[in-house]
Order: sequence, then C-alpha cells, then structure tokens
Amino acid sequence: MKVPTRRPEEFLPLTPAMFHILLALADKERHGYHIMREVDERTEGNVKLGPGTLYGSIKRMMADGLIEELEERPDPELDDERRRYYRLTDFGFRVATAEAQRLEQMVRSARAKKLLPRAKSS
Amino acid sequence: MSKILSKDTRWFLSIYSILLLAYPREFRQEYGSQMVLLLLDCQRDARTAPARTRIWLRTLIDLVRTAPREHLEKIRKDNTFMRNLRTDLFAIGGCVLIILAALLLLNYGRSHQVSSILVFGFALDAIVFTGVLGNLIVFLLVKLTNLRPLRIAFWTFLIVSLVPALALTLIAIAVDPKFNAPNVLIGYVVSFFFWYGLHRLWANKLKPVEPA
Repeated sequence: MKVPTRRPEEFLPLTPAMFHILLALADKERHGYHIMREVDERTEGNVKLGPGTLYGSIKRMMADGLIEELEERPDPELDDERRRYYRLTDFGFRVATAEAQRLEQMVRSARAKKLLPRAKSS
Repeated sequence: MSKILSKDTRWFLSIYSILLLAYPREFRQEYGSQMVLLLLDCQRDARTAPARTRIWLRTLIDLVRTAPREHLEKIRKDNTFMRNLRTDLFAIGGCVLIILAALLLLNYGRSHQVSSILVFGFALDAIVFTGVLGNLIVFLLVKLTNLRPLRIAFWTFLIVSLVPALALTLIAIAVDPKFNAPNVLIGYVVSFFFWYGLHRLWANKLKPVEPA
C-alpha cells in the first residue's frame, strides 16, 4: 500500500466524483458498479458516474493512497470473480473528513448570508 | 452470461470494447475489463429500451470527456512529451539535412558528368529514396509500437533497401540490357549501412548514462 506523504488538506477541494466515491466507500467496501449505484441512489439520480469518470478517479485515488483494492473479495461465492473491490484507507478517511468539514464551513457561510435557511436545532 | 444479453447490448459492448482504445494503454489494461463489466451490469439493470439508450449516450459522452484527460495526465506524469519532441525534431532535421546534401551531390555529379562518382551517384539515389521512405516508417513504428527502435530501424532499412534493389534489378534488366545492376545493388547496400549505422549511432548517443 502506498504511504501518503502529504497532509489531507493538500488534496482539497476534491472533485465531486472523488468525494462521492469516498462517501460510497465510507461505510463498506464496494466494487465499481456498487459504487456507481450507491452514488446514484444517494443523490437521487443527480450524480451519475460514467465508467471513465469512475475508474479515472479510482486510479488517481489509489495512486494517492486514499483507497485501496481488496486482495480478497468479500463474498466470492455470490459474486463475479472478475470484480475488484475497493475500500477507504485511514488516510482516505481523513481526506474525506477534511473535505466534509470544508463543505460544512461553506454551508455555514451560505446560511450566514441567508442563501440557505437556518439549520433546525436538534 | 452473454446468452441472456440482447443482441443490441452485445453489439454495444463490442463497440465499447473497441472505443476503449481511446484511453492510454496502461489505463486500458488496468481498468478496461472493469469498465466493460460495469457497463454490462448497467445494461442488465436497465429494463427499458429508452433507459438502455440513455446509458449508451451517457457512456459515450463520458468516454469523450475522460479519454483526453487520461492522456493529458499520462503526458504530465511521464514528462517525456517535450523531451521526445526535441529528440524527434533533432532527428527529423538531421535526416532532412542528409537527404538535402545527398540530393545536391547527386545533382552536381549528374550536371558535371563526373564519371568517377558514378557509383557514388547510385548510392546517393538509394540514400535519398530509402532515407525518405525508411525514416518515415521507422518514425511511425517507433511512435505507435513498443518494439525496440534499433530493431525497427534494422528491419525497415533492410526491407526498404532490399525490395527496391531486387525489383529494380529484375525489372530493369528485363527492359534494358544495359542497365547497371551491380551499381544499383552496391548503392542500396551502401544506403542500408549508411542509414542503419546512423540509427545505431543515435541509439548509442541517446542511451542514458549510468551513474558512476
């Protein structure tokens, strides 16, 4: 596995595709089509990753050590053996968190400028 | 698996497999099969014809958008484009100069009827011909394939020298009995060694120097 030598903040801002992929992998390991479906469902069809965008982003994120490929498939019995599964690395998790915090700060600024309604207090 | 796919889907997947050639080779080798598999999954899940058509269109647009990006990234990563361009321009310039010099010498020899450079004239003829054709072929093959440049140069100049030499000799002897076949053959042999020798020199010069 590649050991990242950069700080998470140096990767920001992430491209929308990269952030969506990191979000899709935040809770569990997934293969390419699974990632695509998760992003599609979570964004209610607003973001559709094409094969080139998806695997181009995966390639870059693997090179940067944000995600890694699983050596063994989670459920080889039920799945196509050609599929490759990916999961978030610790560093990828930190980068995703940093990006989420950056976006949260932007949303807060948008609220302060009354571009968005105030968040309901929980 | 392919048995349950519609004819349209199989056709599209075949086309897409060919279109993947638009991506850099390393990317294609690493992710090409995964991309086809992904598309297969998408097609399988799309129930209606309009849904499948939307996937096709989206995939093609995605390919047009992402293939140039992958190439640009590869160029940036390798950082070899400018270095190669400089070497290529230097090599092309060198070849053009040699061909021009050969043409000038040839012209001089013919206009002054210098009998002593008759054989030299045949060699120059061959050098110009094999130089233009052979270097073009070598250049294209080096750029488009992964074969070793020196090996490409050897076989290209061998074929480009041998084929016209034999063809000229066989045809011209049949048409004109006074045709000077030995000189033509000598000319093409000289030309082969001239151009292959030059490529060998370039190859040795371009070899990276080992650190002491």
